[in-house]
Amino acid sequence: MMRWSVAVVLLCAGCGASSPREPVHVFAASSLTAPFEDLEARFERAHPQVDVRLTFAGSQVLRLQVEQGAPADVFASADLVHARALHEAGLLEAPQVFATTELTVVVPRDDDAISEIADLASARRIVAGASSVPIGAYTQQMLGRARTVLGDGFVQAVEAAVVSEESNVRLVRTKVELGEADAAVVYATEVNDRVRAIPVPDAMNVTVELAAGISTRAERSSHAAAFMGALCGPMGAAALRTAGFEVVTP
Amino acid sequence: MTRSLAGLAALALLGVLVLPLVALVVGTSPSQLQQGLASPAFVPALALSLRTTFVSVVLLVLAGTPLAWWLAHGRGRWRRVVAGVVDLPIVVPPAVTGVALLRLLGRRGLLGDALDSLGIVIPFSTSAVVLAQVVVAAPFFVQGATTAFRRVEPDLIVVARTLGCTPMSALRRVALPIAMPGLVGAACVAWARALGEFGATLLFAGNLPGVTQTMPLAIVRGLEADVQVAVAFSLALVAAGAVLLLGMRWATARMTEHR
Repeated sequence: MMRWSVAVVLLCAGCGASSPREPVHVFAASSLTAPFEDLEARFERAHPQVDVRLTFAGSQVLRLQVEQGAPADVFASADLVHARALHEAGLLEAPQVFATTELTVVVPRDDDAISEIADLASARRIVAGASSVPIGAYTQQMLGRARTVLGDGFVQAVEAAVVSEESNVRLVRTKVELGEADAAVVYATEVNDRVRAIPVPDAMNVTVELAAGISTRAERSSHAAAFMGALCGPMGAAALRTAGFEVVTP
Repeated sequence: MTRSLAGLAALALLGVLVLPLVALVVGTSPSQLQQGLASPAFVPALALSLRTTFVSVVLLVLAGTPLAWWLAHGRGRWRRVVAGVVDLPIVVPPAVTGVALLRLLGRRGLLGDALDSLGIVIPFSTSAVVLAQVVVAAPFFVQGATTAFRRVEPDLIVVARTLGCTPMSALRRVALPIAMPGLVGAACVAWARALGEFGATLLFAGNLPGVTQTMPLAIVRGLEADVQVAVAFSLALVAAGAVLLLGMRWATARMTEHR
């Protein structure tokens, strides 16, 4: 009997000790994986009582989850469209652009068939983002500009070579890393050592705006606000710059 | 007491199976359904799903029937090993199957160079969709067909042979009719599994409307853009599944009656 009660007490102590920290659920676009993991570490060092829980996916998937009641305290999207939609639905406080980047073409590291943007027209297999995903929407904007710079033929050739429409930018990049795609358009911050970047000229490039907001039903809004403050402050700026983003100061 | 508890548990299970489908139907008005089905993605996705699953099941029946016969009546210790290998796709998550297929048949895959030199490109094509379906559905057909063939007594074949049948005609005129209801059932289950295939297709075949975007992929893509479209597509797929199930019940019932 004695032994049992000791065991129960120990068990309860165990439960208590395992989660003394209060969670903040942060839903972030997959393109924000590196800087947000960095920021999580920095933030938790500064706020030991808070446990940042990160969820990464395509912005449109995260938006859907929030619309269906997922417990996100902070929502960070790779474009303003999805953040604004949640704001207009009353689910998100006014979103704020906290960083920008631009687009680049990536090709497999050891593949030298493509050396400038115009060569994209000769690629056999291009993987793109679906139009509902930020990277897909940005890519379409870029192709719209390319139409005036490189002509209709270029855009048609690129569109005809698209073999798959992926649901987030990481999946797009993966197909190039695997060598399954000859080329893809991704954010400049997505370039790693397994792919080679082909710059997109300014005349065709678009500004990628990363926007975040606090959920209107954030359970621990003080922690959510603290995380949002960190993201838009020096801590966030350091993490974002390390990952290659341009920091926007409000 | 135990009985009522067991009954309650069974009822709860039934509820979990049926209620989500009821919610899917009840939550959608006819006009929403019509609107969803008018989406430009619907017809290509449904046509692709029907086309690819048909080809997959035909391939499975052609290749799986002899294999199942051997598994049911063959000899040797390799039989168990092969039976285990055939069952693997049931326990391996479809996403793993997709990655593995890429590792084998992708450009940088084991056979990538050989295929490339022959001018054959499989990933991101409709063939990739079929291949993914064949792999994930194969265990369901082969298992079912093996069970069906086990019902055929080897003695019957011996008798048919002594009465002058060649091995092939003994198989065709004695074994196949006995096993037929089980074979049809196995083909239907395999078809259903192929129709629902998602993970391996997404990774190995990609997601492009009209080429590799089957119904399950279109549903997920629809969910990301417009929930109503996804719900309408889902209803269409549930209807297709229900028609299949009823057709299968009817066909097997008729076959058993006629014997």
